Amino acid sequence: MNGSNITPNIMRFIGLVAVQVLLLNQMTNTVGEYFNVLLYPLFILFLPLQLPTPYVVLLGFAVGFAVDAALGTWGVHASAGAFSGVMRGVAFFPFAPKGGFSAKDPIFAPAHMGWQTFLQGTALFMAFHILWYFTFSYFAPVFGWEIMTKTVTSWIFTMIFVPLYVAMFNPKK
Amino acid sequence: MGKLLQLLLRNGGFVTFLLVEIGCFAIMVNFETRHKEIWANTTGIFGGRALEKRQIAADYFSLYETADSLAHIVDSLQARLSNARQMQVSIRDTFFLVNYDSLSKTDTVRRKTVRPQYEFITAKSIKNAIAGTNNWLIINRGSTDGIQPDMAVVSPEGIVGIVRHVGTNFSLVMSVLHRQAKISVALPNQKNAFGSLIWEGGDPEEMTLRYIPQHFVVKKGEPVVTSGYSLMFPQGHPVGIVKDLPKSDPENPYFLEIKVSLSQDMATVREVAVVRNLFKAELDSLQLKISINER
Repeated sequence: MNGSNITPNIMRFIGLVAVQVLLLNQMTNTVGEYFNVLLYPLFILFLPLQLPTPYVVLLGFAVGFAVDAALGTWGVHASAGAFSGVMRGVAFFPFAPKGGFSAKDPIFAPAHMGWQTFLQGTALFMAFHILWYFTFSYFAPVFGWEIMTKTVTSWIFTMIFVPLYVAMFNPKK
Repeated sequence: MGKLLQLLLRNGGFVTFLLVEIGCFAIMVNFETRHKEIWANTTGIFGGRALEKRQIAADYFSLYETADSLAHIVDSLQARLSNARQMQVSIRDTFFLVNYDSLSKTDTVRRKTVRPQYEFITAKSIKNAIAGTNNWLIINRGSTDGIQPDMAVVSPEGIVGIVRHVGTNFSLVMSVLHRQAKISVALPNQKNAFGSLIWEGGDPEEMTLRYIPQHFVVKKGEPVVTSGYSLMFPQGHPVGIVKDLPKSDPENPYFLEIKVSLSQDMATVREVAVVRNLFKAELDSLQLKISINER
Protein backbone atom coordinates (compact mmCIF):
# COMPACT_ATOMS: atom_id res chain seq x y z
CA MET A 1 0.00 0.00 0.00
CA ASN A 2 1.14 3.50 -0.70
CA GLY A 3 -0.09 6.80 0.67
CA SER A 4 -2.72 7.27 -2.01
CA ASN A 5 -4.67 4.16 -1.20
CA ILE A 6 -4.39 4.00 2.62
CA THR A 7 -7.24 6.49 3.13
CA PRO A 8 -9.74 4.72 0.86
CA ASN A 9 -8.99 1.45 2.63
CA ILE A 10 -9.43 2.98 6.07
CA MET A 11 -12.76 4.44 4.96
CA ARG A 12 -13.76 1.10 3.49
CA PHE A 13 -12.80 -0.66 6.76
CA ILE A 14 -14.88 1.63 8.95
CA GLY A 15 -17.80 1.83 6.53
CA LEU A 16 -18.11 -1.90 5.88
CA VAL A 17 -17.80 -2.82 9.56
CA ALA A 18 -20.44 -0.22 10.46
CA VAL A 19 -22.83 -1.38 7.72
CA GLN A 20 -22.30 -5.01 8.71
CA VAL A 21 -22.90 -4.45 12.41
CA LEU A 22 -25.53 -1.71 12.39
CA LEU A 23 -27.57 -2.63 9.34
CA LEU A 24 -27.05 -6.11 7.93
CA ASN A 25 -26.95 -8.01 11.21
CA GLN A 26 -30.08 -6.19 12.37
CA MET A 27 -31.80 -7.31 9.15
CA THR A 28 -30.88 -10.90 9.99
CA ASN A 29 -32.44 -10.51 13.42
CA THR A 30 -35.60 -9.05 11.85
CA VAL A 31 -36.08 -11.14 8.71
CA GLY A 32 -34.80 -14.54 9.90
CA GLU A 33 -31.68 -16.58 10.57
CA TYR A 34 -31.33 -17.65 6.92
CA PHE A 35 -31.12 -14.01 5.77
CA ASN A 36 -27.37 -13.48 6.21
CA VAL A 37 -25.47 -10.88 4.21
CA LEU A 38 -21.71 -10.67 4.77
CA LEU A 39 -20.44 -7.50 3.13
CA TYR A 40 -17.31 -6.77 5.23
CA PRO A 41 -15.18 -9.32 3.26
CA LEU A 42 -15.25 -6.76 0.45
CA PHE A 43 -12.60 -4.91 2.45
CA ILE A 44 -10.27 -7.88 1.97
CA LEU A 45 -11.31 -8.29 -1.66
CA PHE A 46 -10.58 -4.64 -2.46
CA LEU A 47 -7.12 -4.64 -0.85
CA PRO A 48 -4.38 -3.90 -3.41
CA LEU A 49 -3.55 -6.94 -5.52
CA GLN A 50 0.19 -6.27 -5.12
CA LEU A 51 -0.04 -6.41 -1.31
CA PRO A 52 1.92 -9.42 0.03
CA THR A 53 -0.25 -12.22 1.37
CA PRO A 54 0.88 -12.03 5.04
CA TYR A 55 -0.42 -8.43 5.17
CA VAL A 56 -3.69 -9.43 3.52
CA VAL A 57 -4.10 -12.19 6.13
CA LEU A 58 -3.43 -9.79 8.98
CA LEU A 59 -5.80 -7.14 7.60
CA GLY A 60 -8.43 -9.82 7.03
CA PHE A 61 -8.01 -10.85 10.66
CA ALA A 62 -8.32 -7.19 11.71
CA VAL A 63 -11.62 -6.53 9.90
CA GLY A 64 -13.03 -9.83 11.16
CA PHE A 65 -11.94 -9.06 14.71
CA ALA A 66 -13.61 -5.64 14.53
CA VAL A 67 -16.90 -7.30 13.54
CA ASP A 68 -16.44 -9.91 16.31
CA ALA A 69 -15.85 -7.20 18.88
CA ALA A 70 -19.05 -5.42 17.86
CA LEU A 71 -21.18 -8.57 17.72
CA GLY A 72 -19.63 -10.57 20.56
CA THR A 73 -18.79 -13.54 18.32
CA TRP A 74 -15.19 -13.75 19.47
CA GLY A 75 -12.82 -15.28 16.96
CA VAL A 76 -15.35 -16.46 14.35
CA HIS A 77 -15.32 -13.57 11.87
CA ALA A 78 -11.60 -13.02 12.55
CA SER A 79 -10.88 -16.61 11.58
CA ALA A 80 -12.97 -16.28 8.40
CA GLY A 81 -11.24 -12.99 7.55
CA ALA A 82 -7.78 -14.54 7.88
CA PHE A 83 -8.86 -17.50 5.77
CA SER A 84 -10.20 -15.21 3.04
CA GLY A 85 -6.91 -13.32 3.11
CA VAL A 86 -4.98 -16.45 2.20
CA MET A 87 -7.64 -17.75 -0.23
CA ARG A 88 -7.87 -14.48 -2.11
CA GLY A 89 -4.98 -15.47 -4.33
CA VAL A 90 -6.62 -18.84 -5.05
CA ALA A 91 -9.97 -17.23 -5.87
CA PHE A 92 -8.39 -14.67 -8.25
CA PHE A 93 -5.89 -17.05 -9.84
CA PRO A 94 -8.22 -18.26 -12.65
CA PHE A 95 -8.80 -14.63 -13.66
CA ALA A 96 -5.22 -13.39 -13.49
CA PRO A 97 -3.58 -12.48 -16.78
CA LYS A 98 -0.40 -14.25 -17.92
CA GLY A 99 2.41 -13.17 -15.61
CA GLY A 100 -0.01 -12.20 -12.83
CA PHE A 101 -1.65 -8.93 -11.92
CA SER A 102 0.32 -5.76 -12.53
CA ALA A 103 0.24 -2.17 -11.32
CA LYS A 104 -2.30 -1.53 -14.09
CA ASP A 105 -4.83 -3.48 -11.94
CA PRO A 106 -4.44 -2.00 -8.47
CA ILE A 107 -7.55 -3.73 -7.06
CA PHE A 108 -9.97 -6.45 -8.13
CA ALA A 109 -12.85 -4.22 -9.24
CA PRO A 110 -15.15 -3.90 -12.26
CA ALA A 111 -13.41 -0.64 -13.17
CA HIS A 112 -10.29 -2.70 -14.02
CA MET A 113 -11.52 -6.27 -14.72
CA GLY A 114 -14.97 -5.78 -16.13
CA TRP A 115 -18.18 -6.88 -14.43
CA GLN A 116 -18.11 -10.47 -15.62
CA THR A 117 -14.63 -11.22 -14.29
CA PHE A 118 -15.32 -9.27 -11.12
CA LEU A 119 -18.55 -11.11 -10.34
CA GLN A 120 -17.05 -14.53 -11.07
CA GLY A 121 -14.02 -13.85 -8.88
CA THR A 122 -16.15 -12.35 -6.11
CA ALA A 123 -18.58 -15.31 -6.18
CA LEU A 124 -15.69 -17.72 -5.63
CA PHE A 125 -14.10 -15.52 -2.94
CA MET A 126 -17.37 -15.07 -1.05
CA ALA A 127 -18.11 -18.82 -1.22
CA PHE A 128 -14.78 -19.55 0.53
CA HIS A 129 -15.38 -16.91 3.17
CA ILE A 130 -19.02 -17.76 3.94
CA LEU A 131 -18.39 -21.53 4.12
CA TRP A 132 -15.50 -21.06 6.54
CA TYR A 133 -17.51 -18.60 8.62
CA PHE A 134 -20.51 -20.93 9.13
CA THR A 135 -18.27 -23.96 9.70
CA PHE A 136 -16.59 -22.22 12.61
CA SER A 137 -19.79 -20.58 13.75
CA TYR A 138 -21.40 -23.99 14.33
CA PHE A 139 -18.08 -25.65 15.26
CA ALA A 140 -19.38 -29.23 15.06
CA PRO A 141 -19.86 -31.62 12.11
CA VAL A 142 -23.32 -32.67 13.38
CA PHE A 143 -24.58 -29.32 12.09
CA GLY A 144 -23.46 -30.14 8.54
CA TRP A 145 -26.91 -29.61 7.04
CA GLU A 146 -27.37 -26.21 8.73
CA ILE A 147 -23.88 -25.15 7.65
CA MET A 148 -24.54 -26.05 4.00
CA THR A 149 -28.02 -24.48 3.82
CA LYS A 150 -26.94 -21.27 5.51
CA THR A 151 -23.84 -21.06 3.32
CA VAL A 152 -25.97 -21.30 0.17
CA THR A 153 -28.63 -18.82 1.27
CA SER A 154 -26.07 -16.37 2.66
CA TRP A 155 -24.02 -16.57 -0.52
CA ILE A 156 -27.10 -15.84 -2.64
CA PHE A 157 -28.13 -12.81 -0.57
CA THR A 158 -24.55 -11.51 -0.36
CA MET A 159 -24.12 -11.74 -4.13
CA ILE A 160 -27.24 -9.57 -4.49
CA PHE A 161 -25.78 -6.89 -2.21
CA VAL A 162 -22.25 -6.86 -3.65
CA PRO A 163 -23.17 -5.41 -7.08
CA LEU A 164 -25.36 -2.83 -5.30
CA TYR A 165 -22.40 -1.73 -3.20
CA VAL A 166 -20.01 -1.66 -6.16
CA ALA A 167 -22.49 0.23 -8.34
CA MET A 168 -22.96 2.77 -5.55
CA PHE A 169 -19.27 3.35 -4.69
CA ASN A 170 -17.43 2.16 -7.86
CA PRO A 171 -14.11 1.48 -6.13
CA LYS A 172 -11.01 2.08 -8.20
CA LYS A 173 -8.18 1.96 -5.65
CA MET B 1 18.96 -21.15 8.89
CA GLY B 2 19.03 -19.06 5.73
CA LYS B 3 17.11 -21.73 3.84
CA LEU B 4 14.52 -21.90 6.62
CA LEU B 5 14.08 -18.13 6.43
CA GLN B 6 13.69 -18.31 2.66
CA LEU B 7 11.09 -21.04 3.05
CA LEU B 8 9.23 -18.92 5.56
CA LEU B 9 9.33 -15.87 3.30
CA ARG B 10 8.20 -17.88 0.26
CA ASN B 11 5.31 -19.36 2.24
CA GLY B 12 4.83 -16.32 4.44
CA GLY B 13 1.13 -16.06 3.71
CA PHE B 14 0.39 -19.63 4.76
CA VAL B 15 2.57 -19.42 7.87
CA THR B 16 0.90 -16.14 8.92
CA PHE B 17 -2.48 -17.71 8.26
CA LEU B 18 -1.62 -20.72 10.45
CA LEU B 19 -0.44 -18.55 13.32
CA VAL B 20 -3.47 -16.27 13.08
CA GLU B 21 -5.85 -19.24 12.92
CA ILE B 22 -4.29 -20.77 16.03
CA GLY B 23 -4.86 -17.45 17.77
CA CYS B 24 -8.49 -17.29 16.54
CA PHE B 25 -9.08 -20.88 17.67
CA ALA B 26 -7.73 -20.06 21.12
CA ILE B 27 -10.00 -17.00 21.32
CA MET B 28 -13.05 -19.04 20.23
CA VAL B 29 -12.61 -21.92 22.71
CA ASN B 30 -11.84 -19.53 25.58
CA PHE B 31 -14.36 -16.73 25.07
CA GLU B 32 -17.26 -18.16 23.10
CA THR B 33 -19.50 -20.12 25.50
CA ARG B 34 -20.90 -22.47 22.89
CA HIS B 35 -17.50 -23.18 21.35
CA LYS B 36 -15.98 -23.70 24.80
CA GLU B 37 -18.59 -26.34 25.65
CA ILE B 38 -18.20 -28.15 22.32
CA TRP B 39 -14.42 -28.13 22.68
CA ALA B 40 -14.55 -29.41 26.28
CA ASN B 41 -16.93 -32.20 25.24
CA THR B 42 -14.77 -33.19 22.25
CA THR B 43 -11.53 -33.23 24.24
CA GLY B 44 -13.33 -35.24 26.90
CA ILE B 45 -14.42 -37.87 24.37
CA PHE B 46 -11.06 -38.16 22.60
CA GLY B 47 -9.08 -37.77 25.81
CA GLY B 48 -11.17 -40.52 27.36
CA ARG B 49 -10.57 -42.82 24.38
CA ALA B 50 -6.83 -42.13 24.47
CA LEU B 51 -6.70 -42.81 28.21
CA GLU B 52 -8.69 -46.00 27.69
CA LYS B 53 -6.25 -47.23 25.05
CA ARG B 54 -3.34 -46.31 27.29
CA GLN B 55 -4.92 -48.25 30.14
CA ILE B 56 -5.48 -51.30 27.90
CA ALA B 57 -1.78 -51.22 26.97
CA ALA B 58 -0.74 -50.79 30.62
CA ASP B 59 -3.06 -53.63 31.68
CA TYR B 60 -1.56 -55.86 28.99
CA PHE B 61 1.97 -55.25 30.26
CA SER B 62 0.91 -55.94 33.83
CA LEU B 63 -0.90 -59.17 32.96
CA TYR B 64 1.84 -61.26 34.55
CA GLU B 65 1.43 -59.57 37.93
CA THR B 66 -2.37 -59.76 37.62
CA ALA B 67 -2.25 -63.49 36.84
CA ASP B 68 0.12 -64.03 39.75
CA SER B 69 -2.09 -62.19 42.22
CA LEU B 70 -5.17 -64.02 40.90
CA ALA B 71 -3.37 -67.33 41.45
CA HIS B 72 -2.77 -66.30 45.08
CA ILE B 73 -6.42 -65.34 45.45
CA VAL B 74 -7.51 -68.70 44.01
CA ASP B 75 -5.20 -70.48 46.47
CA SER B 76 -6.62 -68.54 49.37
CA LEU B 77 -10.17 -69.30 48.26
CA GLN B 78 -9.36 -72.98 47.76
CA ALA B 79 -7.84 -73.08 51.23
CA ARG B 80 -10.90 -71.46 52.74
CA LEU B 81 -13.23 -73.81 50.86
CA SER B 82 -11.30 -76.91 51.85
CA ASN B 83 -11.00 -75.76 55.43
CA ALA B 84 -14.68 -74.89 55.55
CA ARG B 85 -15.59 -78.39 54.39
CA GLN B 86 -13.18 -79.88 56.89
CA MET B 87 -14.55 -77.92 59.83
CA GLN B 88 -18.23 -78.75 59.38
CA VAL B 89 -18.84 -80.26 62.78
CA SER B 90 -22.16 -81.15 64.32
CA ILE B 91 -22.39 -80.52 68.02
CA ARG B 92 -25.40 -82.03 69.67
CA ASP B 93 -26.60 -81.95 73.21
CA THR B 94 -29.98 -82.61 74.78
CA PHE B 95 -31.19 -79.10 74.16
CA PHE B 96 -30.01 -77.96 70.70
CA LEU B 97 -28.10 -78.84 67.55
CA VAL B 98 -25.38 -76.45 66.40
CA ASN B 99 -23.59 -76.60 63.06
CA TYR B 100 -20.70 -74.28 62.37
CA ASP B 101 -18.49 -74.03 59.30
CA SER B 102 -16.95 -70.62 59.54
CA LEU B 103 -13.16 -70.26 59.80
CA SER B 104 -13.32 -67.53 62.39
CA LYS B 105 -16.54 -68.20 64.25
CA THR B 106 -16.31 -68.97 67.92
CA ASP B 107 -18.60 -71.57 69.37
CA THR B 108 -20.14 -69.89 72.38
CA VAL B 109 -21.03 -73.23 73.98
CA ARG B 110 -17.56 -74.74 74.11
CA ARG B 111 -15.54 -71.52 73.56
CA LYS B 112 -13.48 -73.18 70.88
CA THR B 113 -12.25 -71.40 67.75
CA VAL B 114 -12.10 -73.45 64.56
CA ARG B 115 -8.70 -73.67 62.95
CA PRO B 116 -7.85 -74.07 59.28
CA GLN B 117 -6.19 -77.35 58.31
CA TYR B 118 -4.90 -76.76 54.78
CA GLU B 119 -2.65 -74.26 53.05
CA PHE B 120 -2.20 -74.06 49.27
CA ILE B 121 1.16 -73.17 47.72
CA THR B 122 1.00 -72.04 44.08
CA ALA B 123 3.33 -73.73 41.62
CA LYS B 124 3.79 -74.33 37.94
CA SER B 125 4.43 -77.63 36.25
CA ILE B 126 7.65 -77.25 34.26
CA LYS B 127 7.93 -80.85 33.05
CA ASN B 128 5.19 -83.39 32.52
CA ALA B 129 4.71 -86.83 31.02
CA ILE B 130 1.59 -88.87 30.32
CA ALA B 131 2.72 -91.48 27.81
CA GLY B 132 4.80 -93.71 30.06
CA THR B 133 3.76 -96.53 32.33
CA ASN B 134 4.74 -94.53 35.40
CA ASN B 135 4.56 -90.79 34.88
CA TRP B 136 6.13 -87.89 36.78
CA LEU B 137 5.97 -84.11 36.85
CA ILE B 138 8.46 -81.49 38.00
CA ILE B 139 7.13 -78.36 39.70
CA ASN B 140 8.99 -75.10 40.36
CA ARG B 141 8.74 -75.23 44.14
CA GLY B 142 11.16 -76.88 46.56
CA SER B 143 12.18 -77.03 50.20
CA THR B 144 12.81 -73.28 50.31
CA ASP B 145 9.10 -72.82 49.52
CA GLY B 146 7.98 -75.18 52.28
CA ILE B 147 7.42 -78.26 50.11
CA GLN B 148 7.84 -81.66 51.75
CA PRO B 149 7.42 -85.22 50.50
CA ASP B 150 3.93 -86.74 50.56
CA MET B 151 2.16 -83.46 49.92
CA ALA B 152 -0.77 -83.60 47.50
CA VAL B 153 -0.68 -81.58 44.27
CA VAL B 154 -3.99 -80.35 42.89
CA SER B 155 -5.26 -77.99 40.24
CA PRO B 156 -8.50 -75.99 40.15
CA GLU B 157 -9.97 -78.69 37.89
CA GLY B 158 -8.87 -81.82 39.76
CA ILE B 159 -6.03 -83.85 41.26
CA VAL B 160 -2.53 -83.97 39.80
CA GLY B 161 -0.27 -86.11 41.97
CA ILE B 162 1.77 -86.51 45.15
CA VAL B 163 5.17 -84.96 45.93
CA ARG B 164 7.78 -87.67 46.31
CA HIS B 165 11.21 -86.03 46.08
CA VAL B 166 12.05 -82.46 47.07
CA GLY B 167 15.00 -80.34 45.94
CA THR B 168 15.94 -76.87 47.06
CA ASN B 169 13.93 -75.13 44.32
CA PHE B 170 12.11 -77.92 42.48
CA SER B 171 10.18 -81.04 43.38
CA LEU B 172 9.41 -84.32 41.68
CA VAL B 173 5.73 -85.21 41.73
CA MET B 174 4.34 -88.70 41.16
CA SER B 175 1.53 -88.14 38.70
CA VAL B 176 -1.89 -89.70 39.28
CA LEU B 177 -1.00 -91.51 36.03
CA HIS B 178 1.45 -93.72 37.92
CA ARG B 179 0.79 -97.36 38.75
CA GLN B 180 1.71 -96.80 42.38
CA ALA B 181 -0.68 -93.88 42.80
CA LYS B 182 -3.64 -94.77 45.02
CA ILE B 183 -5.97 -91.91 45.84
CA SER B 184 -8.79 -92.23 48.36
CA VAL B 185 -11.94 -90.87 46.68
CA ALA B 186 -15.63 -90.82 47.46
CA LEU B 187 -18.97 -90.74 45.64
CA PRO B 188 -20.95 -87.83 47.14
CA ASN B 189 -24.19 -89.10 45.58
CA GLN B 190 -23.70 -92.47 47.31
CA LYS B 191 -23.49 -91.18 50.88
CA ASN B 192 -19.78 -90.53 50.31
CA ALA B 193 -18.97 -94.19 49.84
CA PHE B 194 -15.20 -94.24 49.46
CA GLY B 195 -12.77 -96.37 47.54
CA SER B 196 -9.31 -96.34 45.94
CA LEU B 197 -8.61 -94.69 42.62
CA ILE B 198 -5.76 -96.28 40.67
CA TRP B 199 -4.32 -96.02 37.19
CA GLU B 200 -3.92 -99.20 35.20
CA GLY B 201 -2.00 -97.66 32.30
CA GLY B 202 -3.20 -96.86 28.79
CA ASP B 203 -5.78 -94.08 28.59
CA PRO B 204 -4.42 -90.94 30.38
CA GLU B 205 -7.97 -89.61 30.83
CA GLU B 206 -9.28 -92.63 32.71
CA MET B 207 -8.62 -94.18 36.14
CA THR B 208 -10.26 -97.10 37.94
CA LEU B 209 -12.17 -96.82 41.22
CA ARG B 210 -12.25 -99.98 43.31
CA TYR B 211 -13.61 -101.12 46.69
CA ILE B 212 -17.04 -99.55 46.34
CA PRO B 213 -19.43 -102.24 47.71
CA GLN B 214 -21.81 -103.92 45.24
CA HIS B 215 -25.00 -102.71 46.91
CA PHE B 216 -24.44 -99.10 45.78
CA VAL B 217 -26.33 -98.19 42.60
CA VAL B 218 -23.75 -96.01 40.86
CA LYS B 219 -24.90 -94.20 37.73
CA LYS B 220 -22.95 -92.89 34.76
CA GLY B 221 -22.00 -89.21 35.11
CA GLU B 222 -21.93 -89.15 38.92
CA PRO B 223 -19.24 -86.92 40.42
CA VAL B 224 -16.16 -88.35 42.10
CA VAL B 225 -14.36 -86.27 44.74
CA THR B 226 -11.50 -86.75 47.20
CA SER B 227 -12.71 -88.47 50.36
CA GLY B 228 -10.47 -86.63 52.84
CA TYR B 229 -9.30 -89.93 54.34
CA SER B 230 -5.89 -89.82 52.68
CA LEU B 231 -4.74 -86.89 54.91
CA MET B 232 -2.95 -85.51 51.84
CA PHE B 233 -5.86 -84.43 49.67
CA PRO B 234 -8.47 -82.16 51.24
CA GLN B 235 -11.99 -83.54 51.29
CA GLY B 236 -14.38 -82.77 48.45
CA HIS B 237 -11.85 -81.70 45.81
CA PRO B 238 -13.12 -82.66 42.31
CA VAL B 239 -11.54 -85.73 40.74
CA GLY B 240 -13.79 -86.61 37.81
CA ILE B 241 -17.04 -88.31 36.84
CA VAL B 242 -18.17 -91.90 36.49
CA LYS B 243 -17.48 -92.77 32.87
CA ASP B 244 -19.58 -95.94 32.36
CA LEU B 245 -22.00 -98.11 34.27
CA PRO B 246 -19.94 -100.01 36.90
CA LYS B 247 -19.14 -103.69 36.56
CA SER B 248 -18.37 -106.30 39.17
CA ASP B 249 -14.68 -106.25 40.12
CA PRO B 250 -13.18 -109.44 38.65
CA GLU B 251 -10.59 -109.56 41.46
CA ASN B 252 -13.18 -109.16 44.20
CA PRO B 253 -16.84 -109.91 43.39
CA TYR B 254 -18.19 -108.11 46.49
CA PHE B 255 -17.03 -104.79 45.08
CA LEU B 256 -17.57 -102.72 41.94
CA GLU B 257 -15.06 -101.70 39.31
CA ILE B 258 -15.87 -98.15 38.20
CA LYS B 259 -14.16 -96.31 35.35
CA VAL B 260 -13.64 -92.64 36.20
CA SER B 261 -13.05 -89.92 33.64
CA LEU B 262 -10.60 -87.39 35.14
CA SER B 263 -11.74 -83.75 35.31
CA GLN B 264 -8.15 -82.51 35.01
CA ASP B 265 -6.67 -83.17 31.58
CA MET B 266 -3.20 -84.37 32.55
CA ALA B 267 -1.82 -83.33 29.15
CA THR B 268 -2.50 -79.65 29.86
CA VAL B 269 -1.49 -79.36 33.52
CA ARG B 270 0.24 -76.06 34.12
CA GLU B 271 -0.93 -74.04 37.14
CA VAL B 272 -1.06 -76.27 40.24
CA ALA B 273 -1.14 -75.93 44.01
CA VAL B 274 0.68 -78.02 46.62
CA VAL B 275 -1.46 -78.84 49.64
CA ARG B 276 0.15 -78.48 53.04
CA ASN B 277 -1.70 -80.18 55.86
CA LEU B 278 -0.98 -78.06 58.93
CA PHE B 279 -1.66 -81.04 61.22
CA LYS B 280 0.58 -83.43 59.28
CA ALA B 281 3.11 -83.93 62.08
CA GLU B 282 0.39 -84.77 64.59
CA LEU B 283 -1.42 -87.09 62.17
CA ASP B 284 1.85 -88.85 61.19
CA SER B 285 2.70 -89.53 64.83
CA LEU B 286 -0.80 -90.98 65.39
CA GLN B 287 -0.38 -93.22 62.34
CA LEU B 288 2.99 -94.36 63.68
CA LYS B 289 1.27 -95.49 66.89
CA ILE B 290 -1.15 -97.59 64.79
CA SER B 291 1.85 -99.31 63.15
CA ILE B 292 3.56 -99.84 66.51
CA ASN B 293 0.39 -101.28 68.05
CA GLU B 294 -0.10 -103.72 65.21
CA ARG B 295 3.40 -105.21 65.45
